[in-house]
Amino acid sequence: MRLGRFIAWLVVGVVALFYVVPMIAMTRFAFQRIPVIKLSLGNVFDKWTVAPLFESFTESEFRSSATLSLMLAVATALLTLVLLVPTMAIAHLRSPRMRRLIELSATLPFVVPAIALVVGFAGTFRETLPILIRSSFGLVPLYVVTALPFTHRTIENGLAALDLRTLVNASRSLGASWTRTMIFVIAPNIRASIATASFLAFTVVLGEFTIASLLLKNTLPLYLAYAQGRNPQGAFAVGIVLIIVSTIFVALSNRLGKVVRA
Amino acid sequence: MTRNIVFSDISKSFGSVNALSHFSLSVDEGELVTLLGPSGCGKSTALRVAAGFEAADSGDVLIGGVSVIASPANKRGIGMVFQNYSLFPHLKISENVEFGMRVRKMSRTSRTARVGELLDLVRLAGVADRYPHQISGGQQQRVALARALAVEPRVLLLDEPLSALDATVRVEVRDEIRRIQRASGIATVFVTHDQDEALAISDRICVMTEGRIEQVGTPVVVYRAPATAFVARFVGKVNDLGVDVVSSTKLRLRGHRFAFEMKPGAAGAGAAGREAQMLIRPEDVRVAAAISTEDSENGIHGVVRTINFGGATTSIDVQVVGTDHFVRVADNTRTMNFQIGDAVIVEFDTERALLI
Repeated sequence: MRLGRFIAWLVVGVVALFYVVPMIAMTRFAFQRIPVIKLSLGNVFDKWTVAPLFESFTESEFRSSATLSLMLAVATALLTLVLLVPTMAIAHLRSPRMRRLIELSATLPFVVPAIALVVGFAGTFRETLPILIRSSFGLVPLYVVTALPFTHRTIENGLAALDLRTLVNASRSLGASWTRTMIFVIAPNIRASIATASFLAFTVVLGEFTIASLLLKNTLPLYLAYAQGRNPQGAFAVGIVLIIVSTIFVALSNRLGKVVRA
Repeated sequence: MTRNIVFSDISKSFGSVNALSHFSLSVDEGELVTLLGPSGCGKSTALRVAAGFEAADSGDVLIGGVSVIASPANKRGIGMVFQNYSLFPHLKISENVEFGMRVRKMSRTSRTARVGELLDLVRLAGVADRYPHQISGGQQQRVALARALAVEPRVLLLDEPLSALDATVRVEVRDEIRRIQRASGIATVFVTHDQDEALAISDRICVMTEGRIEQVGTPVVVYRAPATAFVARFVGKVNDLGVDVVSSTKLRLRGHRFAFEMKPGAAGAGAAGREAQMLIRPEDVRVAAAISTEDSENGIHGVVRTINFGGATTSIDVQVVGTDHFVRVADNTRTMNFQIGDAVIVEFDTERALLI
C-alpha cells in the first residue's frame, strides 16, 4: 500500500516536472535580461524585469490581436450560451433522443481535426456567405464548435442537477412565457454552469491557433507565433500571462463546477 | 364569470397506452374534487391536460365556461401546486410569491401588499426573506400554494402536493390546503393516490382506473356505496370472499359449509350455481370469542392469526377454520382483547356487503 502510494506520487512528480521545468525556463527567458546561453542556477535571482511584457503591450499588432481575441472570446461565449442553453433545456424537457444526439454531436469536435473543419467551412461559405470568410467574426461559429465538448458538458451538468420540468411548469402556470422562463427561471438556476461554460469558451478562444491561422486572422495566438521572430522575450512574456489567465479561468471553472454538483 | 372547470370527453394516449379515455368531469366554484386512483390511472394526465402541459388527442377543457384547450399553459389562468418542490431556488420566499404578479405587471405596492396577505394566509409571514432551501418541505408546499393563489387563478390544480411530506406534516398541510381552499372559494382539482387523503379533503371523489372514471361521488357515497368492485377494493380496506350463489338469499362460502343469509334481491346475487365475490368492509364484520363449535346463522368459526394495533383502531385477521379464507375485522371500541391463536366467531353485516 505504501509502495503503491509512493509510485503514485512519483508519477505525479515526474509529470509535474514535465510541465514545470519548461515553464520555469520560459519564465526566466521572458523576464530575465540575461542572454539565454548565460542562464544558470547561479543567476536565478538576477536582472528580473517586466519590460519585455510592456514592450509587447506597446506594439500595435499586439493591441489589435488581443482586442480581436477578446471580442471573439466574448462573442463565442455569448453565441454558445444563446444556442446551447435553450436547445439543451428543450431537449431535457421534450426529447431524451434529442439529448443523446446533442451529446454525440458535442463530442465530434474531439475527433474532427481543425483543418477538416476549416476546409469544410470555407468550402461551404466561400460562395454562399463570403462575409463569414472575410470577417474575423466568421471565426466565432468555428470556435463555438471547437469549444462544444467542454461547454456542452458543463451546461448538461447544470440542467441535470435541476428538476427542470417542475420549474418550467411552475413558471408557465404562473403566466410566464417561454422566453421569460428561460431568462428568469432556468438561466439563474444554472448560473454557475453558464459562468463555467463562458470561462471555458474564453480559454479555448485565447489558445486556438490552427483555425485562425488557416483563415488568416490575426488573433492573439498568431501574434505570439509571429512576434517570436522579432521580439522573442516579449512574445514569451505575453504567452506566460496568457497561460496564467487561462489557468485562472480553468480553476474558476472547476470551482464553479463543484458548486453546480453541490 | 363563474370559476369552474369542465373536462369534456378528453382522450389522450401515449403510443399504444390510453392514458385518458373519454374523461368527463365538472368541478364547480368552491368545490374540491379529488382524482383518486393507482399509479398510471390517468389522474395526473388529466391535470396536465387541464394545465396545458399535455395536449389532449380529443375533447375540450372549459374554464369559466370558455374553452382553453387551444390556449398555452401561461394563458389558462390556472394556479398549480406540484408534487415535487417547485419553488424557484434562486428567489426568496417573497419573490417566489411575487413571481406571477410580476409577470402580470402589477405595481410594486400591490405586489408587496398581496405577498403579505398570502404569507399571512398560509401562516408563513416570518419566512418572507428566506430562500426555499432554508424552510421545511411542508412550508415549501404552503408557499407554493400561496404563490399559486397570488395570480388569482380561476382554477386551482394540486398534483399530489403532499406526497413528498412525512406523515405528520402531511396531515397539517392537508388541513391547511382545505382551509385555504374553502376561504378562497376556488374550484380545485386535487390529485392523489392516497385514499385516506382523498376521503379527508374532498367534496367529491372521482375514482379512476386505466384512464376511465369508475365512480364520482361524495367520500361517504364512494366508501359506503362503491359502484364497482374496483372502487370497493381501492377505497378503504375490504374483505374479498369467494362465494357460490345457492339462491337469491343464500350464498355459500366457497369450500365451506357456511352460508350467508342475504336480503331478498341482494344486489348482484344472480342465478343459483354461479360463482361470485362478496366484498365487505372490516368494520362491517364483528368478532366475538367462540362459545360453541357450531357456526351460527350469520357467524363462522375462525382463529385469530394477526393483530394489527393501529392506535385509534385495531384490526385482526381471522382465518376461517378449515379454509384459506382470511377475514379482516376492524374495531375501535377497545373491546377486542384477543390473542393470536384465539378461537373466535365472526359475524357479517351482509346488508352492507357488495356482490359481484
